[in-house]
Amino acid sequence: MKKEELLNKLRSSVTQQFDMPSEPVKGITFTDISKQFIEMSKTVGGKVIEVKNTDDLNTIIHKAYPNAKVFASVVKGIKADLNPDSVASAAELNGTDVGIIQGVIGVAENGCIWIPQTMKERAICFISEELVILLDRKNIVNNMHEAYKRIEINSYGYGVFISGPSKTADIEQALVMGAQAARGVTVILID
Amino acid sequence: MKVGLFIPCYVDTLYPEVGIATYKLLRELKLDVEYPKRQTCCGQPMANGGFQRMSGDLVEKFDDIFKKYDYIVTPSVSCAAFVQFNHPQLHKHKCSTPEKTMELVQFLHDVLKVKELPGNFEHIVSVHNSCHGVRELRLSSPSEEHIPRYNKIIDLLKLKKGITVKEPERSDECCGFGGMFAIEEPGVSSRMGDDKVKRHIATGAEFITGPDSSCLMHMQGVAHKKKYNIQFMHVAEILAAGI
Amino acid sequence: MATSHSKKAAAFLSDPDKVTRHDQTFWGIREKRDIQAAMLPEWEDLREHASEIKEHTLTHLADYLEEFSKNLESNGVIVHWAKDAQEFNEIAYSILENNKVKKLVKSKSMLTEECEMNDYLIEKGIDVVETDLGERILQLMKLKPSHIVVPAAHITRDEVGSMFEKEGISKEIGNHDPTYLTQCARYNLREEFIEAEAGLTGCNFGVAATGDCVVCTNEGNADMCTAIPKLHIVAMGIDKVIPNYDSLAVFQRLLCRCGTGQPTSSFTSHFRKARPDGEMHVILVDNGRSDIIANPLHWKTAKCIRCGACMNTCPVYRRSMGYSYSYFIPGPIGVNLGMLRNPKKHSGNVSACSLCLSCDHVCPTKVAPGSQIYFWRQELEKFGTENKEKKYMSAAMKKLYGNYTVYDIATQYAHFANYIPQKMMDIKQNTWSEGHDMPHFPKKPFHKIYRQMMKEMEKEEKRK
Repeated sequence: MKKEELLNKLRSSVTQQFDMPSEPVKGITFTDISKQFIEMSKTVGGKVIEVKNTDDLNTIIHKAYPNAKVFASVVKGIKADLNPDSVASAAELNGTDVGIIQGVIGVAENGCIWIPQTMKERAICFISEELVILLDRKNIVNNMHEAYKRIEINSYGYGVFISGPSKTADIEQALVMGAQAARGVTVILID
Repeated sequence: MKVGLFIPCYVDTLYPEVGIATYKLLRELKLDVEYPKRQTCCGQPMANGGFQRMSGDLVEKFDDIFKKYDYIVTPSVSCAAFVQFNHPQLHKHKCSTPEKTMELVQFLHDVLKVKELPGNFEHIVSVHNSCHGVRELRLSSPSEEHIPRYNKIIDLLKLKKGITVKEPERSDECCGFGGMFAIEEPGVSSRMGDDKVKRHIATGAEFITGPDSSCLMHMQGVAHKKKYNIQFMHVAEILAAGI
Repeated sequence: MATSHSKKAAAFLSDPDKVTRHDQTFWGIREKRDIQAAMLPEWEDLREHASEIKEHTLTHLADYLEEFSKNLESNGVIVHWAKDAQEFNEIAYSILENNKVKKLVKSKSMLTEECEMNDYLIEKGIDVVETDLGERILQLMKLKPSHIVVPAAHITRDEVGSMFEKEGISKEIGNHDPTYLTQCARYNLREEFIEAEAGLTGCNFGVAATGDCVVCTNEGNADMCTAIPKLHIVAMGIDKVIPNYDSLAVFQRLLCRCGTGQPTSSFTSHFRKARPDGEMHVILVDNGRSDIIANPLHWKTAKCIRCGACMNTCPVYRRSMGYSYSYFIPGPIGVNLGMLRNPKKHSGNVSACSLCLSCDHVCPTKVAPGSQIYFWRQELEKFGTENKEKKYMSAAMKKLYGNYTVYDIATQYAHFANYIPQKMMDIKQNTWSEGHDMPHFPKKPFHKIYRQMMKEMEKEEKRK
């Protein structure tokens, strides 16, 4: 189909045009924004560990996953066995027990965390059995309206809001964690 | 204030006691109420069935009969909703009856602002929130919407001494009548009716009451067939009890 | 009298326990949706915004499509325009063929169902693998979705379990625990993701201002489909375009809350560019959408964001199941979309509505599918698909109610119907008696009693 053909048809079929709403939506706000974020993170099936910026993240992560063998990350200062920047293919990340990634914005209303792609193989965000997301407490916003004002997509051209583990209720509406992507998500909230 | 009483066709034929209760109640409230002659039907049954074009004459006739009144009051939510929302599209000329037509609960609650009623009704009742009452006339807050909760039917019923008012689970789910829907989709319709009656019974009520005799007729038909032990009474009859 | 929907519904209704389960499943989702709505003070404002944004976008769609496609192209994305299902399928196949793709993994897309893409590609030799668990179950069982969001909700765990055993996906015979079965599917699909050379996703929202294709999933399967294979194809209807991120925030907040009763989908993925050394194609599909937008009476149907809330709340859908509708999208919105697709073929669904209008009030974009069904009913005569018996009954009512003398006489004798034995009422033509006893006619209609009352009152007045 010619694009112009369609656009002309659409233009000629409109008899009345409507404006955008004049006022923006006033999104919900919270008095204790990080308490709300933590509660929502748990509601959506995630775990939250609160730490100080002086704490040793490697120790904390290993303590949280004592049986994990393969760690993958590109985050500076995080010890890892696999590096999504240097693996030959995304498939090489299959078998990762714990993937550690950097979150940029947390959303209090629904536990979403914005993860822009900062690694060559973004498969780490999904293929890992368990996902650890690092987030600065100061980067929590109230709601999606605020979040969408702040997000940016870099030259990789990809970003995702993740809220808790992969889940499904496709068999008799029974909620099961770990459908296709990470079975569990731990948010490390850094002061 | 001159009030014209509209007793829809099926209420006239099947439930004259509802008409009588409505009339008595309005008289009790000191209104100049009249039941104009030669009224029949608002045209809803054929329109909901898909033959709105056959309702035109009835719509004109309705306007002719009722235009002289300040208010037109009817004990039927679906008919009131049809007059209020559908008649304007069916009229060939501008007319005043759609905005002057009110369902009984609407009229008592919003216009007369009735705050007391004589008479007792010492029974447990389960309120049937008829769809068109909820979602068109807004007699109660639709459960789908996030707005402050209210229910004008319950407000009025509670004016009767001795009454215990309940609502079923899924308080405003459809009973499955829907006019010709009940005939065209008998399986789904009667299953909906059965589910609804059971939820009403589960409240422990002796009576199912509502502002629309067609919903009550449908549920009554289901309840009789299944031999359920529950009685039916229109809201108007309860409000007029002891008057 | 029976319509295609009512006939198929009757078959489903013959197993009352199954109906109860189905009804509870979807009412449960409706309840979860209500809880989400109740948590946001701005809920009704959000719905109004969503509705207005959609009305704005659809009436400026050519401009937004131009902006969207320009932004996609500036990011190196290859944009295709498909007039109809056939063109869409051909384009999808040509992309796969050019890239020598043997296996395609895909996430859930109602557009590909609409275009019957899977069958087309499979015929051409492509191994198409659905990766949404519900869709995968249906694909292996050779069944169609019965709902647009939870497509396999009508299948029991035992049915899934037995099928997984037969397919070799689950090893523990008789273990039909949903957690176990989901894990089995996970391992099975992992292999498929790694082997596939291409991934196809739908698109919930196309953001004109940025060129983002936004996909919402709970399983993360759209991301698995696109993070491993290097070729990504996006299948999207032209109605999915929205202006900008501010608009996206409104829809993202509503979609999942309305659809599944969650505060958000687990993954809200923004695809703007191909992966390093990969290719990204977006196929923009019309397939009747421009006709819907041009339809003066029904254009607002195009505001739908396919959340499924109208199905979950529909008392008829819950008791009749998706397969009783002739169109692949069931429920209130499906009745409308079917009529817009092919009115002659899908008129049999128009009866599936008691006009309770619950759908109008749950709909996040205020499509008002229930109110629209009322209008479709008025149009059936135009298509020659009106119910002849109903028409006859309506004409009879018109006569009865239109002529007061006839009405007066008829109502006078109506109570004789009480003496007809119930057995005689239980005839096939009288569908009312299938589920009801006949109502009891009183001795006198109201208007006679009123006249009598008036006479008595007059007498009393005179006496005074």
